[in-house]
Amino acid sequence: MRRRIGAGLALLLGAAVAAALVLGNRGDDGGDAPAALVTVHGVIGSEKKPFFDDPGVRAAFARHGLRVEVDTAGSREIATSVDLSRYDFAFPSSVPAAEKIKQKRGATRVYSPFYSPMAIATFAPIADVLARAGVVRDSGAGYQVLDLKRFLGLVAKGTRWDALPGNTAYPARKRVLPTTTDIRTSNSAAMYLAATSYVANGDDVVGSAGQADRVAGTVAPLFLDQGYSESSSEGPFEDYLAIGAGKTPLVVIYEAQYASRLFAADGAIRPDMRLLYPAPTMLSKHTLVPFTDTAAEVGRLLQEDPQFAGLEARFGFRTSDPKVFAGLVSAAKAPIPPGLVDVVEPPTYDHLEQLISAIERRYPAAGKPSS
Amino acid sequence: MSDRTGRLVRRAVAGAAALLLLPVAACGGSGDQPGRDGPEVLRVLAGSEVKDLEPLLARAAGAAHVTVKLTYAGTLDGADEVASGAADGRYDATWFSSNRYLSLIDGASAKLSTQTKVMISPVVLGLRRAKAHELGWDTHPVTWADIATAAGQHRFTFGMTNPASSNSGFSALVGVTAALSDAGEALDRAQIDAVTPRLTRFFSAQTLTAGSSGWLADAFARRGADGSTGGSTAAGQVDGLINYESVLLGLAGTLKEPLTLVYPRDGVVTADYPLTLLASSPRKEAYDRLASWLRTPDVQREIMTTTNRRPIVPEVRPDARFGAAPLLELPFPNRRDAADALISAYLNQVRRPSRTLFVLDTSGSMRGERIDALKQALAALTGADASVSGQFSRFRDRETVTLLPFSSAPGDPRTFTVPERDSAAVLGQIRAYGEGLGANGGTAIYDSLRRAYDTLAGERPTGDFTSIVLMTDGENTDGSTYDDFAAYYRTASRTAPAFVVLFGDSDTGEMRRVAELTGGAVFDARTGSLASAFKEIRGYQ
Repeated sequence: MRRRIGAGLALLLGAAVAAALVLGNRGDDGGDAPAALVTVHGVIGSEKKPFFDDPGVRAAFARHGLRVEVDTAGSREIATSVDLSRYDFAFPSSVPAAEKIKQKRGATRVYSPFYSPMAIATFAPIADVLARAGVVRDSGAGYQVLDLKRFLGLVAKGTRWDALPGNTAYPARKRVLPTTTDIRTSNSAAMYLAATSYVANGDDVVGSAGQADRVAGTVAPLFLDQGYSESSSEGPFEDYLAIGAGKTPLVVIYEAQYASRLFAADGAIRPDMRLLYPAPTMLSKHTLVPFTDTAAEVGRLLQEDPQFAGLEARFGFRTSDPKVFAGLVSAAKAPIPPGLVDVVEPPTYDHLEQLISAIERRYPAAGKPSS
Repeated sequence: MSDRTGRLVRRAVAGAAALLLLPVAACGGSGDQPGRDGPEVLRVLAGSEVKDLEPLLARAAGAAHVTVKLTYAGTLDGADEVASGAADGRYDATWFSSNRYLSLIDGASAKLSTQTKVMISPVVLGLRRAKAHELGWDTHPVTWADIATAAGQHRFTFGMTNPASSNSGFSALVGVTAALSDAGEALDRAQIDAVTPRLTRFFSAQTLTAGSSGWLADAFARRGADGSTGGSTAAGQVDGLINYESVLLGLAGTLKEPLTLVYPRDGVVTADYPLTLLASSPRKEAYDRLASWLRTPDVQREIMTTTNRRPIVPEVRPDARFGAAPLLELPFPNRRDAADALISAYLNQVRRPSRTLFVLDTSGSMRGERIDALKQALAALTGADASVSGQFSRFRDRETVTLLPFSSAPGDPRTFTVPERDSAAVLGQIRAYGEGLGANGGTAIYDSLRRAYDTLAGERPTGDFTSIVLMTDGENTDGSTYDDFAAYYRTASRTAPAFVVLFGDSDTGEMRRVAELTGGAVFDARTGSLASAFKEIRGYQ
């Protein structure tokens, strides 16, 4: 969940802070300290934490007199259960959640500085098996897509890996199910739900409670049958990088997670790893809702300042100026397309919430031990 | 008993005792506030599995400016503590081999903040080399179904920890069940019911059980080719263990006959050791520093080298010791009722039954609070303890329990057999019997312990997990001495370990010698409660 460079620097930073505290405690007058920074508190989706922890990002904020402190929470929690009065801004990973927060808090502005498409990380032999099964194809634009409609058909039949034709590469008995995070807490799973519900709803965005109910029955097994799933989007991707195909032959991620590793050239993405884009896919539009003017300045910097755009792209996010991200892609010779064609919009907050709740109800309530 | 075996026994018992006593030592004292300049203290509720990281963690004070203070608890006990809120304010973080069971408990997720995976170890089968060769499992790929078939044919035996006490046992149970059920998706109750007969055949080969992975490994090492005592076992040699790969690799170096690791090709369940910040903790920065430091490549390499666990960061690749077998991960239940139904089926239907004798001090010194504590502890084992871990530590269906109270002389043993179904009536009888205990007279420890072993010697061998619990609050005042008992003990081949509870004014030295002699372990109820010591012992029965 932390990058190597980030970790080392974070340690140094920690030590520096500790030293500063010790020194600070000694002097009473605090004389010639550098201009005091204004601290802004935010609650954000966990996938952006490495960005806000990055020393480069912190230094960039400091140059504008700002210090940004963040807590992490799932986008759904940010929109519902988190006590927002303790924060200067909320920064969920999706537009629906941001809209809900904006409404709830009566905010007037929002900033959408960067976005990342939902993608599926896998391995070359597995992509080949799925290609033979007719669910993975070449987009014709330099990347492979996972045909969601065909894929859902395969999943609905309870297909197991070892039943796929000609599959000698991954003859596992377990079912063909992409690993996601816990749909009840995490935004990346909700994005996957948004895309699959679109397909299950006859290629249409779910737009009513009735549709949500009907579609939930079709897509619920995608989540429930996986068994235990983690609450943070870093967890499954870590398993993908460290354990590999045995645990996570297919894992639903944000493109940014994969791209940032490629850009860092840290060896984490090995030659047999592949990134697939579901067709249709969904964009996770990270949207900042400020509650104060200082927080609005944070949003403005993230959205408009070219220096921040460069930092954001380094973390794999796509910004409004596509050249920044494209530059990193070409420098890293990364197999990442400049743009995606088949992108659909998520349902509104309320309808997405109805979908999630309908799936949540299918988890039986916790029972007493039956001994 | 040869000298070599004697040494092993001592070492193993000392290890087990240290493991059990450490929590008490580690959580005492209240100096948790960081010194002005000193490293910040991070109080961590941990599974005993991470004990082997203590030397590494000692360096975190210098390297990450964090002093890590570990308190150990069993997996389900720890889960109870976190979910109920009892851990709030007492600990800053948890560190168990997995958060999966905990996450299934309603409301538990809200207690947890950031989780950082630190390392990886799958649960696999380790077999003595000759046995692995005999079965052909050293050269051919094996599935859990193959292993179950061989188990049903009595071609090998194995040891495993209790799934209600220890994560390795729970993971193994989930893995075996998922593989044998051939379900392909997460288990539900119907699948668990359907697969129970196959599980029963599989676990008929389990002849060694324990409450913790470390103790299991020690007991296994003791039960070498000579089949000497140690552990709650049916008689005879134990051919292998189901445990973490890291434990098995570590053990392999200490055994005369090496272990062959068998990686079932239909899948495993893997521990990922998430260091987890509690939402209630104010020490987020200290947590962040420790978590970051643990994931630096150098520390990851050191973890791999010194503890045989696989690194979690992709920058450090697992080395040759782990082999090249692909590790297919089996789905883990996402429903609490499924997980609980599985543990319950294992304890009450699937595994070999327990045969347990409780040798209980009812001398005059027990009068008052102490005898009340004993009554309470016994009642808890009849189902009065409503917590998750309490329910799983009750007297099990098919278990035969003998209560043997003593004072100046052994009392009359009273034996109860809990039936396969409708256990409530017998459990009620046990509770009523416990309620009727009085406290009077002297303390004839060794005559009474001898009576327990005599009782067992008079029974037909059943293959049940047989063990004795000895609880006394003072020194031996009547009848034979420890030396008399030791001489008696050695007159026959005995396999039942004595689990000794230190209580009140126990003679600690002598009690340790009893545990050593019989291959048991010592549990300390002098600072904690008698009920929790009994509960912990249940993991070993």
